[in-house]
Amino acid sequence: MADDVTAVVVDDHPVVRAGVAHWLSTAEPPITLVANGEDPEVAWTGPGADAGVVVLDLHLGASTPALPALRRLVEDGRNVVVYSMRADDETALQCMEIGALSYLTKSEGADHLVQAVRAAAAGQSYTPPALAGALAGDRSETRPALSPRETEVLVEWFQSESKEFVAQRLNITLSTVNSHLERIRVKYAAIGRQAPTKAALVARAVQDGLIGLDDL
Amino acid sequence: MTDHAVFATTRQVLLVVVVAIQLGLTLPTLVTHGHAPPAWLAFALLTSVLALVSGSVAAGRTELPAAIALPGAAVVLASSFLATPALPAGASFGAADWAFGLVGWYLLLLLTERPRVLVAALTAHIAFSVAWFLHDGNGDVGTAGVVILSGTSVQLGALVMIRVLVRDARLAAEAAAEHDAARTREELARQREQDLRTGFAGQLGAVLPLLADLADEVVSAGDEATRLRCSVAAVQLRRLFAENDDVPDPLLHELTACVDVAERRGVVVSLAVSGVATPVPTEVRRELVAPMARALAVADGRAKVSLLRTADEVRVAVVTEAGDELPERDVPAFVAVETSVHGGLVRSEARWRTT
Repeated sequence: MADDVTAVVVDDHPVVRAGVAHWLSTAEPPITLVANGEDPEVAWTGPGADAGVVVLDLHLGASTPALPALRRLVEDGRNVVVYSMRADDETALQCMEIGALSYLTKSEGADHLVQAVRAAAAGQSYTPPALAGALAGDRSETRPALSPRETEVLVEWFQSESKEFVAQRLNITLSTVNSHLERIRVKYAAIGRQAPTKAALVARAVQDGLIGLDDL
Repeated sequence: MTDHAVFATTRQVLLVVVVAIQLGLTLPTLVTHGHAPPAWLAFALLTSVLALVSGSVAAGRTELPAAIALPGAAVVLASSFLATPALPAGASFGAADWAFGLVGWYLLLLLTERPRVLVAALTAHIAFSVAWFLHDGNGDVGTAGVVILSGTSVQLGALVMIRVLVRDARLAAEAAAEHDAARTREELARQREQDLRTGFAGQLGAVLPLLADLADEVVSAGDEATRLRCSVAAVQLRRLFAENDDVPDPLLHELTACVDVAERRGVVVSLAVSGVATPVPTEVRRELVAPMARALAVADGRAKVSLLRTADEVRVAVVTEAGDELPERDVPAFVAVETSVHGGLVRSEARWRTT
């Protein structure tokens, strides 16, 4: 299944598109980039329309973030990874609320991008460290209640960028770290407006027994 | 000398003058010339006022209370109204007129602190005496004029001198107070500067002992340990320079300053910030930044610095590759510091509860 991962990249900088293409193609196993372009339309037309994952740059030349494009993609049930220049917590949380499966800043390297794209292809979320920081620092009234353990995992992952380190520090297994992060994302996905990707994310988490209905 | 002291002294002097005039000059006059009986009543009233004022002075009061001064002045004026008509015919302002000068001195004794009332009372006294003189019609106008002028001018002169003395005393007291205030300000400024100096020396932390050790050749610049100490000192200094900058987010500003020094040393540092800026007191900032500053000073290769601000906490963490021993550090007073090593990574975190 991993071999089938396909992606489309929307970014207004050719050098970024080339870089992302390189990172994806050299991943192990490789991810096929089926289309790329500077306009979001590339994700709806031609080969891009069938790509499993959309890597969307939030700042496409315009002064305002491309949130309408993100909303359209999410409402179409597409798996979107937002790839942004700005490490701005509010925008990150907004994208999560709309239903992006991941939010990456461009300062986060190839590893995180590849993992995020792979997770998104399977309809799963991926929480890179910067996003973990945004979630941990979230003071909005609508934020979901996190358990102390979940908060600690979030904070330590933000601080160390190493899940192995977090696992050893908190004396839990790597997969427990991952499931804590996943639960947090599911809790976030459950708030705000419903979107196909978010619904799928929550449904999968409930099926997997990751989260109970009363946790939501 | 304050104006209170001026009043106290002049009253004592006036008291002596009044006693001398009353007993030495007026009593013989009263006895030798044939006065009507009200003159003795006036003399008795004046003596009772004298006793009251003497009592007040003996009690150590610097100013005469209004309760004595004003009724006293009324009694003295009443004595004037009794004594003047009791004079033998044609004696006004003459040798037999014992009361005219004495009443003036009494008024001065009673009303030194109240010049307006004094002038009014004196005027009333003189006016009544002059009116009686004119009514009597037998006296010598020239002698009367000389007596009125000489008697009154001495009393008014004394009043003017007292007021001048009071004013000078007031000015001197103000000058002295101003001088004292200047001395206090000077002392405060000196104290503040000293505090600043010692405070600065305290914040300089490891820098001063290190420089002293290098100067005394206790340590050598070639040693690895000295190199680490220099590195720590450099970060501390850079943070200290940043501490007083006027920026919207001082904590982040100080963190960035420390990161900057480490990057100049070739450490690849990533800095992640989350949450909105919250006010953090300077002492707390120092303690929050200190562990990561020390870790960065000895870091090699890569380091990750993070600042997280949640609703109730500020957390500064640094994760570096485990390397050299961290130098010993001061025990923080405001923040909780935790350092742990796992799988080749060292994490130091300082946490401060905002609530």
